[in-house]
Amino acid sequence: MYIDPHIHVVSRTTDDYEAMRKAGIVAVIEPAFWLGQPRTEVGSFKDYFSTLVGWERFRASQFGIVHYCTMGLNSKEANNEALAEQVMELLPLYVGKEGVVAIGEIGYDDQTEAEDKFYRLQLELAKDVDLPVLIHTPHRDKRKGTIRSMDVSEEHGLDPKMVIVDHNNEETVKEVLERGYYAGFTIYPHTKMGSERMVEIVRQYGPERIIVNSAADWGISDPLAVPKTADLMRKSGIPEEHIKLVTYQNALTAFGQSGQMDEQDWLNAAPLDQTKKMSGNSVLRGGQTPRVEGPSDIVEN
Amino acid sequence: MQDQVSDYLTRLLQSQSNAKGLDWLGKQTQIISTTAVPVKLYLAFSQSSRFFKKAKLTLSREQIDQADHLTPGLQPQFWDELQTARTVLLLSYQAEKETWFNTINQLFETADMYEHQALFAALPVLPFQEDLIPRAIDGLRTNISLVFDAIALNNPFPAKYFPQANWNQLVLKAIFMQRPLYRIKGLEERRNPALAAIARDFAHERWAAGRDVMPEIWRLVSPFVDENYLADLKKTLQTQDNLQMKAALLALRESAYLPAQELLESYPNQVSTLDMDTLAWESIGSEFQRTRV
Repeated sequence: MYIDPHIHVVSRTTDDYEAMRKAGIVAVIEPAFWLGQPRTEVGSFKDYFSTLVGWERFRASQFGIVHYCTMGLNSKEANNEALAEQVMELLPLYVGKEGVVAIGEIGYDDQTEAEDKFYRLQLELAKDVDLPVLIHTPHRDKRKGTIRSMDVSEEHGLDPKMVIVDHNNEETVKEVLERGYYAGFTIYPHTKMGSERMVEIVRQYGPERIIVNSAADWGISDPLAVPKTADLMRKSGIPEEHIKLVTYQNALTAFGQSGQMDEQDWLNAAPLDQTKKMSGNSVLRGGQTPRVEGPSDIVEN
Repeated sequence: MQDQVSDYLTRLLQSQSNAKGLDWLGKQTQIISTTAVPVKLYLAFSQSSRFFKKAKLTLSREQIDQADHLTPGLQPQFWDELQTARTVLLLSYQAEKETWFNTINQLFETADMYEHQALFAALPVLPFQEDLIPRAIDGLRTNISLVFDAIALNNPFPAKYFPQANWNQLVLKAIFMQRPLYRIKGLEERRNPALAAIARDFAHERWAAGRDVMPEIWRLVSPFVDENYLADLKKTLQTQDNLQMKAALLALRESAYLPAQELLESYPNQVSTLDMDTLAWESIGSEFQRTRV
């Protein structure tokens, strides 16, 4: 069993969902992020947030995958300050909902003043509602941005154990772990980590507080990055218990601090039933036969 | 009235929910009712799932009667603890109409499935009822049966307020989704010739496709039986399906149309086994749900 604790499944197809399920992914976390196309109206955020707790959660369930999400204003769009203010007013409507496991992904992109302002406001929100925080670290000037994210988080009094610092690399991992944070690694071709580098990191730093994810989205990315990296670790002689920690258990422990994510959610899930419908839409179209199965069909690893 | 309903629902929770949740709920309603700050309501409304389970309420006979006395047709025996707590929170928020709708519209528009269930089931105890009619009508566009049921079943709101066209759409969609019709409040009182014709067309469509017809739909037809409906009921009697036959006989028994009475007389043995009307429809509906859906 695997958890992909960072994937933007709204951008993925049902083929992906089926492949993920077959590869052993039982649960995913979808962080609220930007959509490629910048939003210009607060209503676009509202419907997106509703999709994360509504339609997408239902869609995932039809493929036997439990869907959680994080809620937040991403750093890129924090730079549209007038809009960002309105999004901040919207967030309290969503952060307390069932299955919202963190505030995120928040942090820095260009490390502007506006980004800093809304990052801090959302750290305070996370403290108010007692949720973990998922930090997006920048692509550019990464090391400095990562350290600044942690400094500011500590300035606001957050316990590092409640914070997952994501998109780490060889340059950031040491400090993130030493300061007591969870360290997320994104296996994303060309821009972030490759799976071979990931194997070396687990070999060097051990499995404690390390979390592997795909961050698969609308770009060239791989929704099977987590199971594929686990396979590579296996072939490279990483002990099975370490693989389990970095591809399953650590994510559950970290995001489970929300009280909104429990192993029983997938171990005791209702049998898969694609005949259920939601909001007048089924993921099945005319002429397709629903796949209905019993609990014994869970793909074990 | 809002306060009375709120007190009543709180007492229901007190007899079965945990002390921590009740304590939390008491504090939240206190804050919301004294400050009327929407954000306090939003947070408490969604976070209720951390304190209350989706466990069905258990009501005594007396408590069931009390609910009906407070709001005719209110049936919290079909509610769970979580939605009851959410309803108490809704009732603690009081404001003048425009402000109240701004706040409540946000809740409706951002709700997840279980929050929708609470909101729609609470319609009969909310203020500004007439202005909530469009919201209820819009809510029925859902195909999540949990949300549909919260509006359509065991809820007195639609029968009391819906214009006939919307009422008929509700009943037709319930048939289409194979929901138990006997749980629609006011079904019998609001039967009408247009709905009977819709039910008949639906039955013909099912027959044309070689499918069974939900037996409860003949209840919609019985006050309007004429020669056309009689032909349908005859056809239903020939299905040799026990539930279908019972439904057709009940419809005939309820009809004042003379040929219907004559047809009924040719089934003396079957007729003698039928319950009283309401009970009989309920048993047909529940058996159909149990064995066919």
